[in-house]
Amino acid sequence: MLMEEFLQKATAVPGVTGNERQVSEFIAEAFRPYVDDVRIDGMNSVICHKAGAGPKVIICAHLDEIGMMVSKIEEDGCLRLKNVGGVDPRVLPGMRVRIYGKEELTGIVGAKAPHLLTPEERDENYTFDTLYVDTGMSAEKVRRLVHPGDTVCFEHRWQPLKNGFISVKTCDDRACVAIMLGACQLLQDMRCSADLWFVATCQEEIGSYGASTAGFGIDPEYAVAFDVCHAVTPGAPKDRVFSTDSLVISKGPFLHPFLVEKLEETAREQGIKLQEAIDPRYTATDADDVSIVRGGIPTVLLSLPLRYMHTNVETCDSKVLKDGARLLAHYLRAFDAAWEDQLWI
Amino acid sequence: MDLKTLCDMFGGPGDEKEVRRAIAEEARKKADAVTIDRAGNVIAFKRGTDDGTPHVLLCAHMDEVAFIILDATEEGLLRFAAVGGIDPRVCVSKHVLAGKDRVPGIIGAMAIHLQTAEDRKHVLKMDQLYIDIGAASREEALKACPKGSYAYFNTQLQAFGDDCVVAKALDDRVSCWNLLRLMEKRYPCDVTYAFICQEEVGSRGAMGAAFGADADVALILEGTAAGDLGDVPETRKVIRPGEGVGVSFMDLTSLGDTETFNRLLDLGKAFDVPVQIKKGVTGGNDARAFQHMKTGTKTCVLSVPCRYIHGPSSVAKLSDIDAQRDLVRVYLENV
Repeated sequence: MLMEEFLQKATAVPGVTGNERQVSEFIAEAFRPYVDDVRIDGMNSVICHKAGAGPKVIICAHLDEIGMMVSKIEEDGCLRLKNVGGVDPRVLPGMRVRIYGKEELTGIVGAKAPHLLTPEERDENYTFDTLYVDTGMSAEKVRRLVHPGDTVCFEHRWQPLKNGFISVKTCDDRACVAIMLGACQLLQDMRCSADLWFVATCQEEIGSYGASTAGFGIDPEYAVAFDVCHAVTPGAPKDRVFSTDSLVISKGPFLHPFLVEKLEETAREQGIKLQEAIDPRYTATDADDVSIVRGGIPTVLLSLPLRYMHTNVETCDSKVLKDGARLLAHYLRAFDAAWEDQLWI
Repeated sequence: MDLKTLCDMFGGPGDEKEVRRAIAEEARKKADAVTIDRAGNVIAFKRGTDDGTPHVLLCAHMDEVAFIILDATEEGLLRFAAVGGIDPRVCVSKHVLAGKDRVPGIIGAMAIHLQTAEDRKHVLKMDQLYIDIGAASREEALKACPKGSYAYFNTQLQAFGDDCVVAKALDDRVSCWNLLRLMEKRYPCDVTYAFICQEEVGSRGAMGAAFGADADVALILEGTAAGDLGDVPETRKVIRPGEGVGVSFMDLTSLGDTETFNRLLDLGKAFDVPVQIKKGVTGGNDARAFQHMKTGTKTCVLSVPCRYIHGPSSVAKLSDIDAQRDLVRVYLENV
């Protein structure tokens, strides 16, 4: 399956943090033809092994997505929600959502209409306390089909825009899982000595628990994390956003300078443009956690710039996916046992 | 023509061409005469069978709330304003089609991670939002969607829940649909079917139609806001989906004719058509034009309750839409 087709299909499969089994299975099947072994671990991370005699490398991109859970069913049958991960309630009014109850249902997010609000209320955003989901069903039927704890996702709409942009829910981080898949496919025809462990990690959105547990289980020598970052949008602080046209390499104490240098070298050789992010502390990705698994794992982080992160319309430049796969494949091929001697002194 | 076709068409105030053409074509198959007046309304006339009966005018508006392109930023993002009453809150993160070629786009806003605590509290105004079509420059954006071109919510009608539909533009294509369905029959009285433009920007089309009309009674068929779920206090739940067509004694711009109002309630009872009184005075509509133009006309408003009106996904019950049609039908049959 090509990267774009994979992304279109994978973003349609629900996988809200903690409830990822369905998307884990989808991803496991997509990787199976290109690797030696695939398994889903006890946490729901998908572990794909492409065996080699060289250095053992874990490559992480997370498969979980931000979403919502039903927290309460009101007397009138409307559903109250709580967020799982950082969902911006401002995007919800008027949105169509999918409710994964006993049956899969469509819901509309509603709130008190503007003409029923006081002038002060009219300037306040709705919150999860004031928003609700309307199922168009009787309260009795809702109670039969939906329970508190059921998952609710944004509606999935695959929307190509001009200039190769794609807008869809859950680009964060399935676009990077797609890049891992693309790299696996390229590596089929490349000589690569490294022992590669591609992991689509679970539970990133609430603290990278999938990356730290998979990292512990695999016990790699190196880690490559792949996640999304913010692209330029009006009003955004300039030092935290990047152009959509190329990938971003992070520099800072959590990232290993030698691995960073090697990654930049590969990018130069392949003629792939990289932007730099300076992360003085947290990167808020799997890199933060996988880098301190067991005795510590030297880690690099690559990021794909996204507009409107954590919404139903996460937008990225599809052309960058191809660059990402090519860069990742060539970087993994470059891993060499001799690097060990150059890491620290 | 079915309701889905009507709702999925685009017709903002002043940009009703597509809807006007479709409705005029459909009306020509059913009415005795169809004209398009100088305001842009489609006026269909069907003669009655009985002399001495009053001439009844039925009114539904063709237009829907929309966006208009103001300009584009250097980065290629389109600035826009609302044409008609759209709550900026329902715009964030929604799919739209912009410009004559209906270019797909999304309404963007800054990601939650980059907002300050203060940002998170306040509602984003229209001038803080923009349409992203993926254009790389101002020139590319404005070439695809020139200033003054329209943009629309990009959602399609679908069946929803129990006996409901969810769609944009239910206000007032439900009534356009009912007028076209009612037109299939001939009634004892003469009937004028007025499909009105520019209701959403102040009943401007209706002014022209009311001036040209010569009816004894005007029934205004509308979609009206229903806030019956969640935190709405009981006193503000003035109309409820599932309880029939709403009949208004008064709204913000007109008074229902008492005789017609009572007649409609009686007919509902007599013919088992679900009817509810709209228990509040909210909203305005084309009744104001028909009631006050020239020497005045008796009016009464019959509304289909719509949740989330003027948004990308408003919700109505099919049984209420049918009740609106049935109540008008028995009114015309027993005039």
